Amino acid sequence: MNPESSQAPEMTFSVLGSAAPVLAPRVGKLAIPGRKAISTPHYLPVTSRGVVPHISNDNVRNETSINSFYVGLEDFIEKSHKSPVYRIPAEENESRLRKFMCAPADIPLIMSPRRFPPIPCPPVNTETSIAISTCDGFRQLSADHYLDAIHKLTPDIIVGLADMVLGRQPGNKRRGKMVDRTHAYTRDALERLYGAAVAEDKKCKAAYFAPILPLDNTQQSLYLDDLETEFRDHLSGLALYESASLSFIPESLGALPRLLIDDPSGPHDVLREVSLGADLMTLPFIGNSSDAGIAFDFTFPAPPQEEGEPPLALGMDMWEAQYARDVSALREGCECYACRKHHRAYLNHLLNAKEMTAWALLQMHNFHVMDRFFQGVQASIQAGTFERDVDAFNRVYALTLPERTGPGPRLRGYQLPAAGPNEPRRTTRVYGRLEDALQKFQDSQSSIATPDTDAEGLEKHGFAEKI
Amino acid sequence: MSTATDSTRKSMPSALTFERHAKCSTTKARASTLQLPHGSVPLPIFMPVATQASLKGLTYDQLRDTGCMLCLNNTYHLGLKPGQEVLDAVGGSHKLQGWDRNLLTDSGGFQMVSLLKLATVTEEGVRFLSPHDGSPMLLTPEHSISLQNSIGSDIIMQLDDVIATTSPDHARIKEAMERSIRWLDRCIDEHKYPERQNLFCIIQGGLDLELRKQCCEEMVARDTPGIAIGGLSGGEAKEEFCRVVHTCTNNLPETKPRYVMGVGYPEDIVVAVALGADMFDCVWPTRTARFGQAIVTSGTMNLRNKCFADDFTPIEEGCTCTTCRPVDQGGLGVTKAYMHHVTAKETVGAHLLSIHNVHFMLNLMGNLRQAIIEDRYPAFIREFFSNIYEGDKSKYPKWAVGALRGVGMDLLSD
Repeated sequence: MNPESSQAPEMTFSVLGSAAPVLAPRVGKLAIPGRKAISTPHYLPVTSRGVVPHISNDNVRNETSINSFYVGLEDFIEKSHKSPVYRIPAEENESRLRKFMCAPADIPLIMSPRRFPPIPCPPVNTETSIAISTCDGFRQLSADHYLDAIHKLTPDIIVGLADMVLGRQPGNKRRGKMVDRTHAYTRDALERLYGAAVAEDKKCKAAYFAPILPLDNTQQSLYLDDLETEFRDHLSGLALYESASLSFIPESLGALPRLLIDDPSGPHDVLREVSLGADLMTLPFIGNSSDAGIAFDFTFPAPPQEEGEPPLALGMDMWEAQYARDVSALREGCECYACRKHHRAYLNHLLNAKEMTAWALLQMHNFHVMDRFFQGVQASIQAGTFERDVDAFNRVYALTLPERTGPGPRLRGYQLPAAGPNEPRRTTRVYGRLEDALQKFQDSQSSIATPDTDAEGLEKHGFAEKI
Repeated sequence: MSTATDSTRKSMPSALTFERHAKCSTTKARASTLQLPHGSVPLPIFMPVATQASLKGLTYDQLRDTGCMLCLNNTYHLGLKPGQEVLDAVGGSHKLQGWDRNLLTDSGGFQMVSLLKLATVTEEGVRFLSPHDGSPMLLTPEHSISLQNSIGSDIIMQLDDVIATTSPDHARIKEAMERSIRWLDRCIDEHKYPERQNLFCIIQGGLDLELRKQCCEEMVARDTPGIAIGGLSGGEAKEEFCRVVHTCTNNLPETKPRYVMGVGYPEDIVVAVALGADMFDCVWPTRTARFGQAIVTSGTMNLRNKCFADDFTPIEEGCTCTTCRPVDQGGLGVTKAYMHHVTAKETVGAHLLSIHNVHFMLNLMGNLRQAIIEDRYPAFIREFFSNIYEGDKSKYPKWAVGALRGVGMDLLSD
């Protein structure tokens, strides 16, 4: 990295090999003293309220290779500054966020103002704050509060504040405002975290990833210029919100790691982003697939396939009845916890029985498949066969993950945008269904298993006989 | 005990050995070891309930880590999902769920009667309307045993005629008791694998101690490998519950394990052990965990309560479960504040608290067993109640004081 920046963040990012600085796939290593290094390209597991959904902390530690957490500060904010995360007693140099989350000491914590994907908030952002969604309602997170949080919580990597417009296309005027505000947030943050006026021992230790807005480069050129010059020494990375932004990263910023905070639809998109030079990325489709009951079934590079064969599916919908008595592993040869210990029939049963263990096992499997996928990507880039391997992958595998067919776990308000007027209920009612007319429906929806088959089905199940 | 008719009955091989180690010199509590086809189980024991072949989000390694040697599946639920055909194809419930320790299944009769409206019991079996299409169905003792044979659990239960203990209809209670005996005979006849699955009878008779005695006599004569006391935990007064358990254990052989079904809370278990019971099951520790309720030495604690939002101490100081144990001892070092943060919001909250609650129950049983072996169970009980009621004896539940007095122990003395 830039020798001038050595005094500020301790994080280092080294690109292996001699890839072009921008718009090319590359392999790197992101290292933070005392933490596990992350070989890139890699995903950052998105957390919800500090946990990787469905995988309890001991399983994360013992049964997965998860080596970082992407955390949204809004998940920890309750009533402005009274949030408990700020009050947990901590030693010097100990991260309050890490301690509060009970996260292992060696896992890098990446903190962003908002969880990912964020819920669009009705309140608007202002010159000094952005709207966030907490578990007790929408609030404003001021730039001051965020800087204060960085000081108190000391994550390893910070994603800078950005003025984003969610859920709709911003107009021309609004876009100008986005750039101006983000520019101002960044200037202010860098100055107050790392600036000359900050005493040496008070300087922020965390690595700062400056946001690049999902806009044309012409619209944010002034901001980009400043990133290249004035801000450069304090930057440790870039946070991008769409893959198109990868195309206009100036060469002088090419050495910085690029975190793509995007929602790709599946592995094909991921490969495209990697080929454009993304180093780190958020992949909500992993968790979404697990919730949907889908077990990933792909590798990179793709297995050889005869010409003219139909494309392979990227995943198996474990809801499908064909797996009900299938005692093979989810994926043959897979070494994940779910595949070592269980079989398809069990997963199929757990989904049908709405048991939480289904999602825990699917998550462990899907994360494992992604770990292997990125290992394959890194090896392929290093071997110089990436482009060819991507072509083959695109040929061999279906372009999209299987459609969701079964219901998933109950989603909470902070995980799903609020339903608007005239929209159907997103969860079925649990209380107040005392009427007999609704009783049958309740029986069929209840988590207490009731027969969802007719008398003949029951008889076939050996449960009872018709009389 | 009638032994005259034994020769006419199908002989009842046993797939377990029951080894008694110690008996409390004051109460009727006993410490023993139950050797089952999938490993040995220290008794007295609490069995977590993995209703649908999964313990509410935990993996079986997490369950194993709590020290669990024996857990429950529900026949009713497994009969519906995944069904007998799948169970046969997969090779039974152990293989279905990847659990290599012991399983116990109930008969399905309890759920049938409590979950389904319009279930009626006849001599043939339980008649009910299929909830899906309303056509009449029949669940017989033979169906139940056949299904449990397919499940392959280490301990299986007879189908019994379940009625609410609080039922005022004495004639009906007597009928249910007598019918349960007849159904036991049908279950014994139907049972295909007595050499690897242990059939337990279920003592019925409501709150009528005379009926209970008769039932004990008749069922003991059938010589099943183990004996359950059924029809309790259905809303009866605790005094009545204790009286029934006390009466039954007085009329049961010392040489067989005794299982009190659907019990319960730590207090109930500690007292029932003093009354001579060995095995217990309840969904409460895992169910209550999903609502944020932690079981601790002083009782229970609702971690959703605001007062825990910034309590940075473990759920229970000194607890050795994976959730509470400090990081430097290989645990997760989870705090009440963190539990408050995730409980009832993330499924992981339920997982972490289930680990704690199940561990708490198993640990309680382990300590209790050690106290029996060292013949200091009365002191253990005193300390247990003192912890819950902060030493205030005036708050001790009367039913517990009464029940323990019945087995020669004064809870209120020092």
